[in-house]
Parts: sequence; structure tokens; C-alpha cells
Amino acid sequence: MNNIENIFMCLAAPLLIASTVTKERGRRLMIFMLTGMASCLFSSYISTFIAAAQGADVISASLEISPFVEEIMKLFPLIFYILVFEPTVTSDILDACMMTAIGFATLENVCFLMTNGSEDIIELAIRGFGTGTMHVVCASFVAFGLLHLWNRLWLRVAGTVAFLCAATTFHGIFNVLVSQTGIPMYIGFIIPVGTMVGILVLRKRLKLSGII
Amino acid sequence: MPVIESIDNIIQLVTTGFCTAFSASRLVATKRREWAILTLAGAVCFLGDLYWQLYLLFYGKTPEYSYISYIGWYAGYLFLSLLVVEIRGERKSKYNRWLFLVPAFTIGMGIFYLQWGDLIGNIISATLMGILIWVSVDALIMAKNEKKKEGVFLYITILIFCFAEYAMWTASCFWQGDTYMNPYFWFDILMSSVFLALPFALKKGGEI
Repeated sequence: MNNIENIFMCLAAPLLIASTVTKERGRRLMIFMLTGMASCLFSSYISTFIAAAQGADVISASLEISPFVEEIMKLFPLIFYILVFEPTVTSDILDACMMTAIGFATLENVCFLMTNGSEDIIELAIRGFGTGTMHVVCASFVAFGLLHLWNRLWLRVAGTVAFLCAATTFHGIFNVLVSQTGIPMYIGFIIPVGTMVGILVLRKRLKLSGII
Repeated sequence: MPVIESIDNIIQLVTTGFCTAFSASRLVATKRREWAILTLAGAVCFLGDLYWQLYLLFYGKTPEYSYISYIGWYAGYLFLSLLVVEIRGERKSKYNRWLFLVPAFTIGMGIFYLQWGDLIGNIISATLMGILIWVSVDALIMAKNEKKKEGVFLYITILIFCFAEYAMWTASCFWQGDTYMNPYFWFDILMSSVFLALPFALKKGGEI
């Protein structure tokens, strides 16, 4: 069993101190990374609570409950940032989405290391890239909804909710595949990387044509 | 693992996959926003089905809490609603009063399904299907009033999708077992066929 709050404290402390001495963009990036880690911490508590309330076992909680909770928890800091600070620069919102996702993935990976050990470098590298990319892909879905969907508020809200749902389903499929061993697990880790490459190629093509 | 359920799921995976791939190829060729939305609608339904099928495959049972697949399908309803709004364009006239039958129908059906399903799931389904049927019927009425033919095929196809969804939900309330005689699987096949028809409906009438 992990004491996730202890791990969080160890990782958060240097970032917290660094955020007091850095300024502007550097500080913002660190705060969002911290927020991502805090989202991971709270997701763990909430998933455990929902699983206990519904009488779900560990596997069901990991496959069916946590993707839903994690994606929503990652969205809350962004909604807060957009509503309270009203950023006007697109890259600020994108930075916030990405750093929250990276902070989340970092704490998740460290917890995995604490539970499963750190002997197998190849498997850990695959897992590290796979999980990191999965969280970044899911954040990209939500960022796309927040940044590029229409001008009217209700259309933007509906589009963002739809992208959040897409991210949750993608996350769920990833969790089902990586809960297996052998080929299904490796496919699970490769899918986010492939999706990321696809997004980058499509973004370049659509940007050239002025759609986004 | 029921064989018929797997066959049904795989058919739907193929048709949603086709819808996604075809729309994505049209998106790359035309760079039109409506193709991007249809690609997303097909993709999220594909992901929802894929999650369901993978769970069946690896664990030999359907997901117990069902959130993830349903969330994918809810996203599908939202993207289809956004597609209709995109094709329909700006509203100029007042809403037709007959449109208010749509929420009455979805709320009524939601209350009926409460005997079998959970409260939150029913509220979300009724709300999202209500929005989708509302915007589709509204767009159809607008097209008729303005004597436009663009988009009519698409709106009708989406309404068939809604009919198939409601027919499936109703059939699942009176479950006839894992057999091909169960009407649930007929309507699911109808819904799968709608995913084949959607790109052609958009290409025929909706692509502006």
C-alpha cells in the first residue's frame, strides 16, 4: 500500500519552493504541475470512496471508476483558471492543460514505481512514455474543446463536455489494455503514442487550412 | 460471454470505424468543420463500443458499472447535436410549438425507464437525446419552411438513429434473452446501419 499523500509532499515541496522564486510563465507552469499532482491525489481519494460506496473491487474501480474521476479532476483546475483569471492568450490555456496532465502522470508513475519496484528499465520506459502520453492526449482533447470550438458559449460548453467524454473513454480503454499482460499491455501503451502522432499530423494539416 | 452480443458489438465496431475513417478522409480532403464533427461522433461511439468489447473479451462479462462506454455514447449524441447545429446554421424564426412534444416524450420515456435503470443515467440520456431530437426536428422544420433541401437527409438519418436507440432501450426492458429473435439486436443492427449511412447523408445533402 502507498501513502500517496507522503509521496505527494516529497514531490510537491521542491516545486512549491521553486514557484515562489520564479516569475510569470515559469511560476504558472510549476503551479499547474503541482495542481496536476494534487488532482491525482484527490482522484485517488474520490475513486476509493466511490468504489467503497458501490462495493466495487480493485479491478472494477481501476477500469470503470477511476478514468471517469481522473478526467473530471484534471478539468477542474482548468475551469477555475479560465473562469477566475480569464486568460486571453491561447498558449496560456494550452500550457495549463498540458502541465496539469504532466503533473498528474508524474505522481501516478511514482506511485506505480513505489508499488511495483524499479528493476525493469525497458518495461518502465514503455510504461512511462505510455502513461505520460495518454494523459497528454486526453488533455489535448479537452484543450481542443476549450480553445477551438465555436464562439457561442453553449456550443463551447457542449463541445468541451463531448471532448471530456471522449478523453474518459480513451482513458478507460487504455486502463483495460494495460491491466493485461503481454501483447495487449504493449498495444495499450502504444495506442496513446500513435494517437499523439496522429493528432500532431492532423493539427499541422488543419492549421495550414485555417480550421484551427 | 454471449456470442450474439459479441457479434453485434463487432458489427457496430466495423460500422462506427467505417464512419470515422470515411469522415476523416473527407475532412482531410475538404477541410470542412462538419466532417471534423462527424469524425468525432463516429470515433467516440467506436471507442465506447471498443471499451465494451475489450471488457467482454478480457473479463468475460459486461462492465458492471458501465460508466465508460455510456460516456462515449453520450459524447456521440453531443457531437451529432453539434453537427446538426453546424449544418442548420443560424436560427431566424421562432420555435414551432410542436417541438415542445420532444421534451415531453423524452421525459416520459425517462420516467418509464426508471423502473429498470438508475436515476442519473436516465436523466443524462433523456437530456442528451432530448437535445438531439429537438435540434434535428427543429432543423427539419426550418428546412421545410425555407424550402431548403440541404441537410434533410442528414436530419432524417439522425432521427432514425434516435428511433433505433429508443427502440433498443425499450426492447432491453423486456429482455428476450441472448438470441437473434430478441428485437434488441435487430434495432442495434439498425443503429449500426445508421453509422454506415451518416457519411453519405452528410455528403449528399449536408456538406455545404
